[in-house]
Parts: sequence; C-alpha cells; structure tokens
Amino acid sequence: MTMTESQAGAVGATAATPKPAAGRQRAYRIGYGYWWWALPAVALMLAFIYATTASGAFYAFTNWTGIGSFDFIGLKNFTRIFQTEELTGALVNTLLLAFGFVLGSNILGLLFALALNRGLKTRYVLRTLLFMPVVIAPIAVSYIWKFIFAFDGPLNETLGAVGLKSWQRDWLADPKLALLAVLVVMVWQNIGFTMVIYLAGLATVPVELEEAAALDGAGPLRRFRSVTMPMIQPSIAIATTLSLIQGLRIFDQVIALTGGGPAGATQTLATEVYQHTFVFSNFGFGAALALVLSVLILIFTVVQQYATRDRL
Amino acid sequence: MTFSIARHRRRAAAVALPLATGLLLAACGGEDGSTANGEEPQTITLSYASANTGEKAYETLAQDYMKAHPGVTIKTNRIALNAYNQTLTTQMQAGNGPDVMYINAGTGQAGSVGQLGKAGLLMDLDSSLKSVLPEGTEELYSLDGKLLGVPSAVTISAIVYNDDLAKQNGVTVTPSSTLQDVLSQCGKVKAAGKSIFGLAGSVPQNPGIMAMEIASSTVYGPNPNWNQDRAAGKTTFAQTQGWRDALQAVIDLNKSGCFQDGAAGAGFDALTNGASQGKLFGFFAPSGATKDIMDAAQGHVKLIALPFPAPQGTQTYAALTANIGLAGNAKTKSPKLVQDFIKFSVSPDEAKKFADAQGSIPVGSDIATSDLLPQYQPIADMLKNKQYRPFGIDTWPNGQVYDALGSGATGLLTGQKTIDDVLKAMDAAWSS
Repeated sequence: MTMTESQAGAVGATAATPKPAAGRQRAYRIGYGYWWWALPAVALMLAFIYATTASGAFYAFTNWTGIGSFDFIGLKNFTRIFQTEELTGALVNTLLLAFGFVLGSNILGLLFALALNRGLKTRYVLRTLLFMPVVIAPIAVSYIWKFIFAFDGPLNETLGAVGLKSWQRDWLADPKLALLAVLVVMVWQNIGFTMVIYLAGLATVPVELEEAAALDGAGPLRRFRSVTMPMIQPSIAIATTLSLIQGLRIFDQVIALTGGGPAGATQTLATEVYQHTFVFSNFGFGAALALVLSVLILIFTVVQQYATRDRL
Repeated sequence: MTFSIARHRRRAAAVALPLATGLLLAACGGEDGSTANGEEPQTITLSYASANTGEKAYETLAQDYMKAHPGVTIKTNRIALNAYNQTLTTQMQAGNGPDVMYINAGTGQAGSVGQLGKAGLLMDLDSSLKSVLPEGTEELYSLDGKLLGVPSAVTISAIVYNDDLAKQNGVTVTPSSTLQDVLSQCGKVKAAGKSIFGLAGSVPQNPGIMAMEIASSTVYGPNPNWNQDRAAGKTTFAQTQGWRDALQAVIDLNKSGCFQDGAAGAGFDALTNGASQGKLFGFFAPSGATKDIMDAAQGHVKLIALPFPAPQGTQTYAALTANIGLAGNAKTKSPKLVQDFIKFSVSPDEAKKFADAQGSIPVGSDIATSDLLPQYQPIADMLKNKQYRPFGIDTWPNGQVYDALGSGATGLLTGQKTIDDVLKAMDAAWSS
C-alpha cells in the first residue's frame, strides 16, 4: 500500500514526527490542518451544547416554573424524584424498555443479518423491506401500531376471525401488556437498523475462514460462536451501545401509543421530563429529571464501552 | 499602504454596520403604527389558541373593533391549542409577547393568569370590568385584588348528548335523572352493541372532566367553598365523602357497561368514530363542543348539553366555567388601546356575538335570563335556578392534581388503583 503525498502531509501535521530537515522536507508541511482550525467549531459547540446543557443542569437545583424568578432549593428536586412512587416506576420502566430493546432489536437484527448475508437470491429486496420502517418517523409508526392495537383494531379482529377470541385484549390499556406493546413497536422499527450494522460486520468475515472451520468439522453453531462472533464484535459493540442510548431516552413511541398510561403504567423518565416541564410548568423539577436521565445514559454507556473496550 | 487602507475600511465598516443596523431597526420599529407626537401606537397584536381552524370568534372580535375604531390595526395570531401555553410562556418570558392574549384563568396551567400575574407580566385592568365576571369566578382573573383578565365566554362542562339517537334506542337521560337511572339503562344498550357514554380513557383530561362533572354535585354542591377549605387545610380529598362518591360513580358506570368496549385505552378518535357511527350517545366535554360537532355535521345531528346525573339523594349541579379569557401585556406600548379592546370584548353585543360563534353563554349576561342557544334549553331551568357550581379545577393550585384525578379514574377502570390510591395521589399533588 502506498501513501500519497497529501496523505503523508496530513499525517505529518497531526502526528509527532521527527524534526524535518530544511529544504525538501518542508514541502510536506504545507498546511493540511492545524489544531486551532477547529477552534470555531469547538467554541460553537461549547457555547451551544455544553454551556446550555450546564445552565439547564443548574435549573435542576431551583424551583423555576419557566417564568419569573426562582429560588435555589439544593437537592430537594432529587429527593422528591426518588421518593415519588410514580417516578421510581418510570425509572424502572425506562430500564426495562432499554434493556428489552437492546436484547430484542440486537438478537432479531443479528438473526436477520445472518439469514440475509449471502446465498438467498431475494436478499437485497428483503433487506430493503426490513430497513424500510427505520426511515419512517417513530411517531408515525407508533400511530399505525396504535390503530393495530386498538380494542376494535386489526389485531383483535384477526384473533377473533381465526377463533382466538379469548386472546383478544385491550392491549394498550392493560397495565400488564401496555409496556410490552410499546417494546414490540420499538423493536419492530429498529430491527432493520441493527441488521444493517451486523451485515456490515458480517461482510468482514472471510468466507475462506468459515469454509476452513466447516472442513475441520465445525457445525453452524460452532462456526458462528468461534469464527463469526469474534469477528463481528465491533458491530455488536456499536449496535448495542446505540440501541441502549435509544432505549433509555425513549419518548415518541410512549407518547403516541399510551401517553404514559394506563394510570402511569408506561411512563418513562423522558415522558416524565416532558410532562413536568411543559405540561405542569415545573421547569426546575423537569431539569432535575433530565439530569438524572442524562447521568443514567452516561453511566450505562461508559460501562458498555468499558466492557467492549478491547474489541473496538 | 495597502494595510492602512484595509484598516480604514475595517474601521469604516465597524462604524457603518451598527449604524445601518440601527437605522434598519428604527425603520422596522416605525411600522408599529407609533406616532411622532407621543401618542401610543395604534397597532396591537392579539394571540389566541384554537384547536379548530374554522373558529373565527376572536378574528371577528378584532375585525369588529377595527371597524368601530378607524386607524387601529389588530394583528391576530392563531396558535394551535396544544402549543399555545408553552409558546405564550416563552414569548412573555423573553419580553416579546402579544399586546393582548388569550389566557387560561386560575393558576393551574402554564401561562395562566396566576402564573403570568405573579411574574408581573400582566396589565392591571380597569376594576369596573369586574362586573362582567360570572359569580364565583373573580378569583380566577384576579391577583392581590387586581383584575388581570376577563373571561371571553361561559361554558358548561357537560355531557355532549345526542338525545334523539338515545331516545330511538329507548334511553332517556334528562337533567332530572339520577345516576341510578342511567346505570339501570346501560345493560340493555350494551347488549345492543352500543353504549350510553363514550370515554377516551387514554387521555387523562377526559376521565378527569367526567369525574369533575360528578364532583360538581357530590362535592361542590353541598360545599361550594370546598377548594378554599382544602387550601386552608381544613379538609383533604381523602377525607371528603363527596370525592369518594364521585369516584365510586366512575366504578359503577364501568361495571354497568355504560362506556364503550376498550374505554380505558381509547383516544378522542374513539369518541368521534363512535358518535358518528351512532354507537354512543354522549361524551364528556365543554359544552362548546356541541356547536363544533353540529356545524361539522351540517345540521344532520342535534346535540344538547346535559349535567352529569348525581347519585340518588344528591342534588344535580351543572359545572359552570369561564376559564378562557383575555389579558393585556404589562409591557405593551399601547396600554390605553389594550384596555379599550379588552373592554370592548365584553360589551353586550360583542359578548353575544362571541358566544354565538363559540356555542357558549355570553359573558357579562345574567345567566338566568340570558338568550341561550338551543343546545342549552334543556338546562335553562337549572341555570335560572342557579343550580350550578364553578368548575372545581379552575382554582386548584397546579395541573398535577387534575392529572392525578384523570389518570387515577382510568386506573379505577383498569383495576390498577383504588379510590384511596387516587385520592391520596390528588392530596400529594395538591401539596407538591
């Protein structure tokens, strides 16, 4: 593999290189990027992302209502969060949805990726069909599923038509099933996304290696465990991290499908943030909830990155 | 030399840019109708919320004022109902709110009179306007004795009821019916695949308004000052038998099959679909909905507004509310014009015109003798006899209490909550 002159220059500008000799070597130093070129972008990011986030976090320690003055109330908002049954329930729901989402979308996404990796003639059409829900807005998908899950909707109608009337349920109003219904919609829409990540990972697995393992007598499961899995570890790390973050901040599907009901049974931290901040005008309390959610996402992401650090 | 010219150019630009910007801003500022002789600008803005794009009541009000006051311009800004409170709060906080604004009465909601009033953002209105406030609603528009807003109309939180359809199905509900009369008819209607009431259980406001309609009789009927007592700590939700009766009525209605199948998980679409297919006879909403639906049906449907029948032995009261009104921005540059416009909005002619457009009762009129629209005729006698109570939630301290009631009522239907749970949650929300 050869390196072009421009590539060499770019590397030379960013990496520590031996001091170049005068004359001919200097030509390679023609500006291909200096650290201070990034300053405007860094400044904008600091001003519009980190500073605003920090000021938002400040309100978590106040009783601001979104208008007028406020008082600094210390940790009262946080104490209230962990003492309110509904909010601890929302925390549990958030974790259940997030981990269910990680497991469901990754297992199914990987299975579809394996099935559509090679061999099947219709794989390109099927991949497109499976990926289609990903490009639709979650809120639109959720409204379609709300119609499907409705008491007099297609799901119950179909169950009735095939003689399974006793299986008919009020899916979105049953406190034991509503959370599961939300999870089904989340997983259904995300399968295509994780499948694409795993397909990219599977493309890096040499066919020869699998053939060699097969010749050595390894069955499909053994080949998957000993050859494929280790080689797609980076894809697993990326797909699980992204789906965990997506699962922890789940909002659209809950709002559209159940609105957090019945009687708070599907509330999550994100829906509680919205409700307390914008519906009840408790900006300070909403900011505290948002801070808890952010810290939660940060902790789980760091733990996951740590667990997969040597495989990335 | 080149350097010097460039520097001079930069200096010139440094001076010219702010100057040009200032001139441009000044030019833009001149468009607000201000006059050079110190008189206040004769152009004001009016923001209002509406869920119905066809609603013209505030537009007509603005047009009428401009016709009666040549030289005045009122720029109206319709904002979707679900985004209004947040938009108004943000604009007012940023100092660029409208001169006149549609506002929620009381203190319970974002952008309400209490919330904006406490922040000093609302104009003090002429106290003579207090005369137009319906009985029991003065505290909804006042703060520390100052009047900060006026209602635009009076409505009833009611059962929006298709009496003709119900009668065709052998069901009779009248203002003198009792809860037991209703319960006894639900079973046969259910057997016919229909229901007397539609309920959108997935939207807490809908079971909430239903429970409040019942509580108007069971709680506020015997004790119109219940909210003051609760605020003073003399009572609680859990200690009040009337609240228990109201929630027990919700359970009884559900057990008797008075709601449509799947009511706990239903949205508003279930109500519109059920009503249009003739599968349900009534649902719970502000009485103005009667006109919206009748207009949409182009005269094919006739609806009436009914109070919720109280349990046997309890007097039925209608739940009267004047919770939507107008207020002025304390920072307006046209305070006299804003005062005058708000005063104009509650003048008898305009109030009548507004009420007719909205399907409500004119503000400022004597409700007992007011020229009521046909949908209010069945309860004309109740209104005449003052058999009504102010809608309880208008003076609750925050929106969480109502949410606890609404989602709690749904929890009663699904079996997630008991009456004690709901009342306890409401007490906790009141104190939060």
